[in-house]
Amino acid sequence: MMTMISQLFILSSKGDHLIYKDFRGEAGNDVINVFYEKVTALPGDQPPVVMSHRDLHFVHVRQGGLYWVATTTSAGSSPFTIIDFLNRLAALVTDYCGSLSEKSVQMNFALIYELLDEVVDYGYIQTTSSDVLKNFIQTEAVSSRPFSLFDLSNVGLFGAETQQSKVAPSSAATRPIQSSRDQGVFVDVIERLSVIIGSNGAVMKADVEGEIKVKCYMLNCSEMRIGLNEEFSIGRSTLRGYGAAVHVDECRFHQAVKLDEFDDHRILKLCPSQGEQTVMQYQLSDNLPSPPPFRLFPTIERDNRGRLLIYMKLRCDLPPKSAAINVSVSVPVPKGCVSLSQELSSPEQRCELKPQSRSLVWTVPRCSGGTQLSAVFKLDVPGLSSASMLEVGPVGLTFELPKLTSTGLQIRFLRLTPVQPGPSQRWVRYVTHSDSYIIRV
Amino acid sequence: MYCFTEVLYHGKNHLISCNSAEKIMFSQHNPLFSVDGSLSSRSQEFLCIFLCACTSIICCSSDCHCVTFFLNLHQHSFYYFFYCLQENRQFGSKMTDSKYFTTTKKGEIFELKAELNSDKKEKKKEAVKKVIASMTVGKDVSALFPDVVNCMQTDNLELKKLVYLYLMNYAKSQPDMAIMAVNTFVKDCEDPNPLIRALAVRTMGCIRVDKITEYLCEPLRKCLKDEDPYVRKTAAVCVAKLHDINAQLVEDQGFLDTLKDLISDSNPMVVANAVAALSEIAESHPNSNLMDLNPQTMNKLLTALNECTEWGQIFILDCLANYTPRDDRESQSICERVTPRLSHANSAVVLSAVKVLMKFMEMLPKDLDYYGTLLKKLAPPLVTLLSAEPELQYVALRNINLIVQRRPEILKHEMKVFYVKYNDPIYVKLEKLDIMIRLASQANIAQVLAELKEYATEVDVDFVRKAVRAIGRCAIKVEQSAERCVSTLLDLIQTKVNYVVQEAIVVIKDIFRKYPNKYESVIATLCENLDSLDEPEARAAMIWIVGEYAERIDNADELLESFLEGFHDESTQVQLQLLTAIVKLFLKKPTETQELVQQVLSLATQDSDNPDLRDRGYIYWRLLSTDPVAAKEVVLAEKPLISEETDLIEPTLLEELICHIGTLASVYHKPPSAFVEGNHGVQHKGLPGSAGSAESESPDAVSAGAATEAPAAVIPSQGDLLGDLLNLDLTPPATTGPLPHSGGMQMGAMDLLGGGLDSLLGGDLGGSPAMGAGFGAPPAAMPPAFSAPVSGSLYDLFDLDNGVGMPLGSFCPPKTVWLPAMKAKGLEISGTFVRHAGVIQMEMTITNKAMSVMTGFAIQFNRNSFGLAPAGPIQVPSPLSPNQNIEVSLPLNTVGPVMKMEPLNNLQVAFKNNIDVFYFSCQYPISVLFAEDGKMERQVFLATWKDIPNENESQFQIKDCHLNSDAASNKLQSINIFTIAERTVDGQDMLYQSMKLTNGIWALAELKVQAGNPNYTVSLKCRAPEVSQCVFQSYEAVLKN
Repeated sequence: MMTMISQLFILSSKGDHLIYKDFRGEAGNDVINVFYEKVTALPGDQPPVVMSHRDLHFVHVRQGGLYWVATTTSAGSSPFTIIDFLNRLAALVTDYCGSLSEKSVQMNFALIYELLDEVVDYGYIQTTSSDVLKNFIQTEAVSSRPFSLFDLSNVGLFGAETQQSKVAPSSAATRPIQSSRDQGVFVDVIERLSVIIGSNGAVMKADVEGEIKVKCYMLNCSEMRIGLNEEFSIGRSTLRGYGAAVHVDECRFHQAVKLDEFDDHRILKLCPSQGEQTVMQYQLSDNLPSPPPFRLFPTIERDNRGRLLIYMKLRCDLPPKSAAINVSVSVPVPKGCVSLSQELSSPEQRCELKPQSRSLVWTVPRCSGGTQLSAVFKLDVPGLSSASMLEVGPVGLTFELPKLTSTGLQIRFLRLTPVQPGPSQRWVRYVTHSDSYIIRV
Repeated sequence: MYCFTEVLYHGKNHLISCNSAEKIMFSQHNPLFSVDGSLSSRSQEFLCIFLCACTSIICCSSDCHCVTFFLNLHQHSFYYFFYCLQENRQFGSKMTDSKYFTTTKKGEIFELKAELNSDKKEKKKEAVKKVIASMTVGKDVSALFPDVVNCMQTDNLELKKLVYLYLMNYAKSQPDMAIMAVNTFVKDCEDPNPLIRALAVRTMGCIRVDKITEYLCEPLRKCLKDEDPYVRKTAAVCVAKLHDINAQLVEDQGFLDTLKDLISDSNPMVVANAVAALSEIAESHPNSNLMDLNPQTMNKLLTALNECTEWGQIFILDCLANYTPRDDRESQSICERVTPRLSHANSAVVLSAVKVLMKFMEMLPKDLDYYGTLLKKLAPPLVTLLSAEPELQYVALRNINLIVQRRPEILKHEMKVFYVKYNDPIYVKLEKLDIMIRLASQANIAQVLAELKEYATEVDVDFVRKAVRAIGRCAIKVEQSAERCVSTLLDLIQTKVNYVVQEAIVVIKDIFRKYPNKYESVIATLCENLDSLDEPEARAAMIWIVGEYAERIDNADELLESFLEGFHDESTQVQLQLLTAIVKLFLKKPTETQELVQQVLSLATQDSDNPDLRDRGYIYWRLLSTDPVAAKEVVLAEKPLISEETDLIEPTLLEELICHIGTLASVYHKPPSAFVEGNHGVQHKGLPGSAGSAESESPDAVSAGAATEAPAAVIPSQGDLLGDLLNLDLTPPATTGPLPHSGGMQMGAMDLLGGGLDSLLGGDLGGSPAMGAGFGAPPAAMPPAFSAPVSGSLYDLFDLDNGVGMPLGSFCPPKTVWLPAMKAKGLEISGTFVRHAGVIQMEMTITNKAMSVMTGFAIQFNRNSFGLAPAGPIQVPSPLSPNQNIEVSLPLNTVGPVMKMEPLNNLQVAFKNNIDVFYFSCQYPISVLFAEDGKMERQVFLATWKDIPNENESQFQIKDCHLNSDAASNKLQSINIFTIAERTVDGQDMLYQSMKLTNGIWALAELKVQAGNPNYTVSLKCRAPEVSQCVFQSYEAVLKN
């Protein structure tokens, strides 16, 4: 009872066969078309995750506009494992080819076949670590990035082949997986915030899912040390001091991460493999250290001409120096709403009525901490009844908080061993995205 | 430029080929070409003709078999036109441009062939890449097999890999060619570079050609013991590949043992692959002891678990899940060593670990501290699974759904993580909703309800519906919350959003079923929304509510009547519900609703084609017409409450699914056997029982129990009535009380008593065993009106002119001449049959019309339908003188040999005297076979009447009979046809009668006598319908006598 991948194929969004690999000889390649027919005919409310055709089960994900499909015949196969694997594979291909698109896959098909050969054997998943793989992979990636003058610096004199590209296969292990990429290390702290605020203003739910991602394109970096806030604590029972510290409920680490200095000094040690990897994932529910970034005060009423009036005050509770960008407020409106007029507080704000999703969308490009925006929306709804007032449902917000983490997690330092000569290219970036931010009215 | 260098002439076929070619092109606007002078004149001539033809439409002459030629267009690069016809008759004149262009692929192949044979390595590599690119898009490049294989011997690893890729794809279609590659494989397996060794052994295993396997064994053996772990781990997988091609070979070569040894390998990657390969091989041999999981191997696996790659960990965890620990201590120690996997970053590892823990937890005593600790540890990883991509979330939720059903305590405090995010895909939302309901309890119901109410105002219709339904399920699940749920639902109804209202009504019906007589106050609100209901389910629910609470709704009849107008346009669901509801209404308010009930019954029974509806209609009709009191008891019976969790997965299935956490089975919520055909040997898995727990009940017993309960559970939800009807208390009606129904109704009722219920009971009741042999044939269609005696008899059976006295009041048909004198040398026999005091007598008058004395009389019967035989020898006291006659009475019994006769009551008799043996046949009235104990109990009668299938019923008319029903009854009683019940409806007397034949066959009859109408109607029902005709004859004979 284990996961066995029978075939693996990559299709373009139009159904063109980009990659097809049969691992176990259990079914023909005619199933590709069966899959494509099935997936395009799927109604929206059906979970697209697992589909079956006779004895064959298709598991697929969409990445980079492509269908990544694995088939299996074994009942013991875990769709979970396969989906996870397909996502990793897509990430791996991105790492090797620079970007993920129909074109890059087409150009690098030999490389991808070679990868697949190492990554899966007879349907058993072997490894997805670029560290291990770089020892085996011979084919060089063909970059499909658009031409730029910048690239000329890498090219020899008037297109003559440089010595660099004729590296013997034996040196593959020391080569960067992507030759053309600039060297550098990026550490991204990405948090996704999901919040529900009740109609009485109470925060009913506030969750953060976060991850630390490392993108490493250093050639000779043997160890990387990432220092987190020292007061970082994990789990409800281990609150230190008065609990003012940075705190998460649950934490998971990449298996390459060594945690021997974590308990005492909150230092993550790892030998970064080239490409992108998620070093740490964490989550926090309910005990956010700061209030949720936005609050909304809506008033809904009918005017004497039978129009629906929605007054909205949006308050941004971020620290004054921070700001939210790309804020978009989506308000469900009653069915049959025909037109909208609005009064907004600044010209760069926009408002639009979207009849197909029965909502109005108010976009604010930038909203600084501590400010308050207000808007009035007047909606013409023929046959407005008191019941249709109830249709003005929960308001959804999407936004981005650059340079900010909701948990307060910070990277204290980032050290590379051996010490890199020359100008170091180390980037630490923070961002919080709204995952599902709902304010009920 | 001349490019034709070579012309081959094969009989009638031309083959022209050339040595250089660049591009494929053909244009009819460039007809400029010249032909090489070296062509034979015949070829030139052909070519010219051919090319001219080409410019218009490609149509080749019949002697063209294969042509390759090239065109030169000025000093541009070469354009070539490659044309190949393999069988010209296939193409005929139907060649089109598209066909032409597809054939250019041959040119491509030709081109590739040249490149593959190039000396330049780079060029070769590019060519192989092109070949593989064509292969990927589905072009057939198998023709290049030999050329590609030629590239195999190279020291360039990249090229080698590409060639191997090609080989894997095409070796199967070219098994003979594949052998060519074997030498290189074997050589590569000894290469100093481990990458090449591994590559060779991996590829060799993928070439699924039987012939290759024998060459594979030696290299594989070496590779399994290779010093490099990369080679060993590849070889381990190769054993599984080889096993799939030739299992016997693998066993004979001892590879399985080597594989087992690899479980103890120092490299965790090798261990993981060995485990994977062994697990797969073991699956195809369910009884083998391959994966002999003992504590030692478990220990090795658990050690390897810590060092493996993430994917290897999954293999090992899946393998661990198959192990059954000896006791709870071992179970606990395994759990302890698996638990750290729960915090792995790869969520697939986490889920596999959860599976192992869920299984081994069963072994742990629940009072153990560790058990509680483990439960606590399981929650966070399950929650983190939900932070993944939507696809993974969905799979995780399907699994959590199972876990929650098995062990709700794990996630009972985690309700919030299942709150729906607005940007979740709908399939994730629906799954979350399902889990929320499962987790709902008294403690968190307020929270849950508030959430659900919010969801009910969202935009997505499917989701809103499910949310409304969920509120109803909460009400049923958590009794304390029922009131809040109902008021929430009422709030939602106030929104007047059509689908919300409909959904709410459907769930309120369920709430009424769970808490009867508690929330009727809301009915008024519901009724306000009657007009907006357009979905069948909602209409049916509303109708059910109106019918159920008819006595409290003043205008129930009006409401239901409004539905009745478009009765035939409604869906079956609504029709059935409407029928039941109106019957309920009638029983509750009989005075005002007679018309309504008649209307619906006639709509259901007469105007509908739907058998379910018709049958239900007939049942109600019959029930109401027979016994309104019983009807009340049946229709208005107390209904069983609906269960709390209607959608729980059946426990044995749940146990099996828990063993399959993470797999496809857990996503489909079906056991693997339901969607995989058995070639992989699906085993049913069960959870290990914990020591001393109450879960020792065998799965079979559970499922058997469930099976017997099933019908009872199904029927009430259909229409309360049927279930009750099945154990109907058949109290006979105390009076033939006033029934408000027309005569037509009686007819209908009569027809269906057999029909509806028979189809319900569905049993083939068949004839009695004794009759089985004789009455096996299906009943022939009976003529509707029977007049003349059955053909085959010589004389009129019932000659009324031959008046013969009836002995002791019992009916005796007149004697008829059985054997005329002229046919029997002066012996004449006339006779009849009579039944008297339980004895069948054959009454004969023997007359001697010959000139001489007759002596030595003897009689014998042929085998006959009912086994009639003389009880003793015929007693003729003295020789019979000429012109003398004698009355003889021969007692008969019914224990003789049986054979079915045609007609049924035919009796063949051999009569002997001193002159000769004479044969004659006669027919006895079947009434002589009616036993004295033929009076059936009323209940039995009713039940039997229902039991007998409708097609066994036959109807006859008796004309010109001027008896009243009492006289008829008395008369019939004389031949042992007993009247069991009598009813008078609209001046029509209905007599229900039964009779029993000597061989135990019962016949049931309904006799209709109408005053002033000389025509009687007899409906006969008998398990052996063949006898009906004869029985009818008896009826007619006795009544007309």
